Amino acid sequence: MKKLLYTIILGWLLNTPALANASLIEEKKCSVCHRLSQEEIEKKGPDLFYAGNKFQSLWLEQYLQNPKTIRNAGTSHNTDFLKYEKDKSQKHPILSKKEARQMTEELMKITLPAVPEKMDSLKPLTKGKKAKTKYEFERTFSCISCHQSLNLAGKVRGGISGPSLVNAGNRLQANWVASWLKNPKSFSEKSRMPIYKMDDETRWRFTQFIMTLKNKNSQ
Amino acid sequence: MTKSSLTSFFLPGILILAIYMTGCGEKPAEKSSAPLPPLIEESQLVQPKEIAPPQPVVVSEKTRETYQWYCAQCHGTKGKGDGVNSKFLTVPPRNHTKADYMETRTDEQFFEAIKFGGLSVGRAPCMPAWGNTLEDSTIHELVRYIRELCQCEAL
Repeated sequence: MKKLLYTIILGWLLNTPALANASLIEEKKCSVCHRLSQEEIEKKGPDLFYAGNKFQSLWLEQYLQNPKTIRNAGTSHNTDFLKYEKDKSQKHPILSKKEARQMTEELMKITLPAVPEKMDSLKPLTKGKKAKTKYEFERTFSCISCHQSLNLAGKVRGGISGPSLVNAGNRLQANWVASWLKNPKSFSEKSRMPIYKMDDETRWRFTQFIMTLKNKNSQ
Repeated sequence: MTKSSLTSFFLPGILILAIYMTGCGEKPAEKSSAPLPPLIEESQLVQPKEIAPPQPVVVSEKTRETYQWYCAQCHGTKGKGDGVNSKFLTVPPRNHTKADYMETRTDEQFFEAIKFGGLSVGRAPCMPAWGNTLEDSTIHELVRYIRELCQCEAL
């Protein structure tokens, strides 16, 4: 009887998160700043309840070890967002290589049921289509007013209230970009981005264009 | 004059009269019932954009928050054109408190600029179209709010 009791207690101990190494997300208290489910109220950090749909794992692993600012005006739910007074004490924690790998694995498992887009079957943008999309990115849809991207000279250009798209091609998944463009409000009721009713061809072309924006192309 | 010669004398005249009266087999009244096919199909015509006439509107608290949520990103929290994006735009955002300029624009122009974007009123493309994000009634209230900011009306 005693043996059985010891076995039960030992089994319970080994299964506690601290010993079983169950969740780094809980251990690092990510949920203090990030929403891990859509039901939660908006928090100051970017939402993570669709992290597995949104991020590229390689980028995520690198970011967690060396967090670089993506939202230059802070995140839009911060109370000081519009005052352009970033709270500098609120830097993202830095994780070790091992932790970053585990955290990435955990985050990539957090997904929403994704609507598959036809991104994989599309031909790469021709030079002309890329130029056309860049024109529309800046003039027709005014994306440049809130998002930084790269101009023709490879220089960073654009507003800062939205996340920078300078390295979007390494950071984001194409399928997610296309879904976001369809309706940002389906991810966040409180997005500050306008809704664009793009036809599918335009939306996919925009997604392809955004995926060409990579740090290595900047000068 | 024989009967046949009489007929041959009057027949051309009768025929001409008949053609004239019937208009090549169509009475004028019948013309309207069977019109010629239009040169341009109705579906091809560009329909003028529908803009609701300006009506006295009251700016709700929700609309003031809408301005802070969306517009203030570029136009600033007090509408002075100094939002967080303002320094990075090719054309500086409009200062909504400057009556000198604001009074030279009509409410309809403001409505159209918000709904269809800056380019639609010949202004900067930096201003996106908000027509899919905001209801027309909210846009009308935003126009009123902008008038509050400049403390001016259209000349």
